[in-house]
Formats: sequence, C-alpha cells, structure tokens
Amino acid sequence: MKCKTLHKDLIFYLDNELPIEKRKEIERHLEMCADCRNFYSFLQAEMQIIGKEKNPEPSPFFFTRLSARIDERPDFRQQSLWNRVAQPAFFSLILIAGIYGGLRFGSHASSGAIHQTSSSSVQLLNDFESEPIESFLLDQ
Amino acid sequence: MDESELIKGIQQGDHRSFQTLVDTYQRKVVNTCLVIVHNTADAEDLAQDVFLEIFRTAGNFRGEARLSTWLYRIATNRSLNHIRNKKRKGFFQSLEETFTGGKNRNSEISENGDDQPDHRITDRQRSDLLHRAIDHLPEKQRVAFTLNKYEELPYQQIAEIMEISLASVESLIHRAKKNLQEQLYECYRKKCV
Repeated sequence: MKCKTLHKDLIFYLDNELPIEKRKEIERHLEMCADCRNFYSFLQAEMQIIGKEKNPEPSPFFFTRLSARIDERPDFRQQSLWNRVAQPAFFSLILIAGIYGGLRFGSHASSGAIHQTSSSSVQLLNDFESEPIESFLLDQ
Repeated sequence: MDESELIKGIQQGDHRSFQTLVDTYQRKVVNTCLVIVHNTADAEDLAQDVFLEIFRTAGNFRGEARLSTWLYRIATNRSLNHIRNKKRKGFFQSLEETFTGGKNRNSEISENGDDQPDHRITDRQRSDLLHRAIDHLPEKQRVAFTLNKYEELPYQQIAEIMEISLASVESLIHRAKKNLQEQLYECYRKKCV
C-alpha cells in the first residue's frame, strides 16, 4: 500500500468503516511508515475533538431569557388564542352583520323603489292634468 | 408527556408544555447551532430564535415528522442563514477596510497567536483547525457531517431533516469525510498548527 492510498482511507479506518482486509493492510503500512503513523495520530487527535465538543453545558438562564423575549412581544402570547378563537369569531360576526345589513338594505331599497315609481307615475299623470295643452289651444 | 401532547399544549399556549420542550431540546438545539456557527453567544441566540419560531408556529406542526426533526431543521437553516449574513457583512467590512485603510482582523488574530509562548498543539488550536476545515466543506456536506458526528443522528433522520434521500446523505457524509481528511492532511504537511 502506498502512503497516498492510505491517506485517502485513514478517516474511514478511524470510523471503523472499512472491510477487515483493508484494515489489516492499513495496520501493516502504519507499522512500517513513521510519517503515516504521525499523520494517523494527528488525524485521530483532531477527530477526538468532536467528542470533547459534544453536549456543551447549557446556560442556566436560557429559559429565563427566552421567557423575557416572549414577554417583550405580547403578540407571541396572545397570538395562539387570537388565532384559534377570537379571529374566526370576529370575522364571522363581520360576515353575518354584512349579510344581515345587506338583506335589510335590499328590502328597504326595493320597497322604496316601488314607492318612488308609483309617485313618479302619479306625478306624470298630474303633469298631464296640470298642463292641459288641448284646452289651452281651444281657449285661444 | 409525549410529543403530540407537548405540541398540543404549546398550541393551546400552555407555558409548562413550552418549558418542557425547551428543557428537553435546549442542549441539542444549542449544540447544533454551535457546531455550525462556532460561537457560544451566537449559538444561544439562534437557539432562542428556534424556540420562539416553534412557539409562534406550533399551530402549523402537522405531526408528519418527529418534533426533533422539525427542531433540527429550523436550527440548521437559521445557523446557515446566520453564517451567510455574517459572510456578507464581512465582505462589506473588508471592502470598507480596504478603502479606509483599517487593520485586517485576520492579521490581528495571527499576531495574537504568535505571542503564545507555548508552541504545543493545544485542544483549542486543534478545535480551531477542525472548525476551519469543517467550514470549508460545502454547505450540505457540512450539515450532514455535523448532524451525524456531533449529534450522532442516524442517516435516516438526517435525510428527513435535510429533505433528501438516504443515498444522498450517505454520499454527502462520505464526501465530507474525504474533503475533511484532505484538508487536514494539507495542514499536517504544511505544519499549520
């Protein structure tokens, strides 16, 4: 095995992801090659850092700070209740009021229109009566 | 209290359910953010943003995925956005420094490093080197690798978090390891620590 080949597979050797034959080959090479052995130690130490950095100690004030941020924005607290109950109820009320108002206005407007038509027709008749052109001509 | 009860409680605005959620997942969420942003204060701020988002949008949770999957997804996305914004700001800052003749931050860091009398490789130096190598990985490789290595998540859950196939996760992690090894070898060869 060449050093270059070993360098490609060393990380997988560390993670125990190589077949047994390949592992043995690497181990034989490491016994013979000091430079590869040094690099192996270097890589191993680097990868062990991951284990040391895992699970940092949580901050004791994390939740306190988080609660404060929620309290700073009251919409966060009210949003769920508003979204679930008040908002649909509010818009439903507006819709019902709109429909009711529309119906009331419609019925009022239609009765008003009938009244207006009848009065205008009466007015026309009255106009005809108030301006008797034929009688005016006859008078002359 | 199981996941569905927890979510139901949060949806109803129950403070105790939310606290249980934070207590259960705080460490995981902070760790996920920390591995990507490498700064404890930023990671905690991001983790808080994650929980605020959960609190605000709990009503949208349909229970198709695990709660932890949802949390990890928000945490990784927020952390990556944070990195992108930081890079953008860094670009404009360096432009400003170029025009105003300001001192480069990187040179300050390297100067400080030279002042150290002890030249043995410390855990801190190893950690910095590893973080730099991880940061050089393409975004998807970085996320898949960190979720697998730091959070010890199985490939299947990583696939759900990243919304990609299982085969893609395998390939991403394989390539991430190869790239990482190449970078670390370069560093070892040049004795950069």
